Amino acid sequence: MRRSPLAAPITFIAALLLAAVTCQGEEIVPRLSVGTQEIGLSAGYLLPHRLTTDHTTKQSGPAVMPSWAMVVTDPIASGHWYGGQLLLGAEIVYIQFEEPELTHGVGFTPKIKYLFEGTGRLRPYVEFAGGPFWTDLGGQIPEQSSQFNFILTAGGGLSWFFTSQMSFNVGYRFHHISNAGTQYPNLGLNSSLPYGGFSFYF
Amino acid sequence: MNANPHLRRLTLGCFGLMLTAITGCSHWIEMKSPSAEADEPAAQVIARDEQVPLILDRIRTTRNGAPQNSSADTEQRILSSLADIGLFSYLASATSGAPPSGEKTVRARLLFDEAIDSHAGSTALKGIVLGASMYILTPFLPLEYEYAAHLSLDLERWDGEIKHYESRSAGAARYHLFGATPIMIDELKGHVTETCLIDLARQIAQDTGFYTASSAPLSESGIRTVSVKSRSSSTSASAAAAVPVSAPVSIEP
Repeated sequence: MRRSPLAAPITFIAALLLAAVTCQGEEIVPRLSVGTQEIGLSAGYLLPHRLTTDHTTKQSGPAVMPSWAMVVTDPIASGHWYGGQLLLGAEIVYIQFEEPELTHGVGFTPKIKYLFEGTGRLRPYVEFAGGPFWTDLGGQIPEQSSQFNFILTAGGGLSWFFTSQMSFNVGYRFHHISNAGTQYPNLGLNSSLPYGGFSFYF
Repeated sequence: MNANPHLRRLTLGCFGLMLTAITGCSHWIEMKSPSAEADEPAAQVIARDEQVPLILDRIRTTRNGAPQNSSADTEQRILSSLADIGLFSYLASATSGAPPSGEKTVRARLLFDEAIDSHAGSTALKGIVLGASMYILTPFLPLEYEYAAHLSLDLERWDGEIKHYESRSAGAARYHLFGATPIMIDELKGHVTETCLIDLARQIAQDTGFYTASSAPLSESGIRTVSVKSRSSSTSASAAAAVPVSAPVSIEP
């Protein structure tokens, strides 16, 4: 029987969460002020979307995203459901395409993130990122002819602070990879990326 | 004589990267109010047996008009600032214990009104531009954080006479994205608050004669009355910080 590639990370995250929950007694209130930095590491699994009949490739594989961001505002519209703080940052995205062929992709994407106030400890967020992306999958599939591409990402998630400086994050991203018309064909690759990870604020 | 074009590009690239790294990490603080030390009056003298204690009754803090919890740090800082004047025999908080009855004391009530503007809109717009430029434009797009403080202090002498003092100060931290730290914001708030406290202390020191023990007799009964009522609203309460006895330092932001 083939073991799911997500089994090990999910078990690890569940064990960490369980440890975090059982270790916490006092109320956790994250204090994020202007200049607070966030270092994060997330991992997920890329799932393909073939949006047109011309799309045939079922690209999939694990993705790892180390990230950095900085809080640049105090809470905006505090007290309202949409109240939150703005973060600017960047991340490196690495994707190992297991399908259709074992190939790799790496990109650098500046990102902007809005972290809602939420309930204090549980804080939803939305984010948008985009930047250059290189992959040797390009040229081996009918959709993409070039190895140099761009990746655009939009999504959201939930941050659960298990200490005032550390959070566990789960989220969803929609990924689009294409080369901005620098070479044809350029149909683009579209994917969903559910992920989980941790952030450290300092 | 012609340098290798690759070498030239590499040199230019390294120079640009260094420029971004160096200038993109800077921050500086601008005070928008004149220093209170500029017109410091001559020191006044008070005899030790003329000094009376000061009791800090309460501190009310508001931020952008919304009431906040006052921190022990703020209280300690204000008490230290008042102690530095040397006018009072000792200073204490009302919560730390009642003064001995029948003793001449000055009671203080302070309103600490903070105004913060982190320029969220322009920061978001600049953030999008910075991100789109892969942060290359970081040295050319500084971000801004403004902080203003308004201190309003009522000092009530043992005979019920009240003197009102006010001071204002404002400042801004300008920074490049990579130079932002929480310490930078603390520095800005520290400088602004310190300017306000120095100005308040200067005003109080000018009224030294008003607070000497021999300036007024202690009321014979030793029993004072206080009015008991609920506050109508925070906005009206802050607006009621009224007639300045000494000219406040008014700062145009």
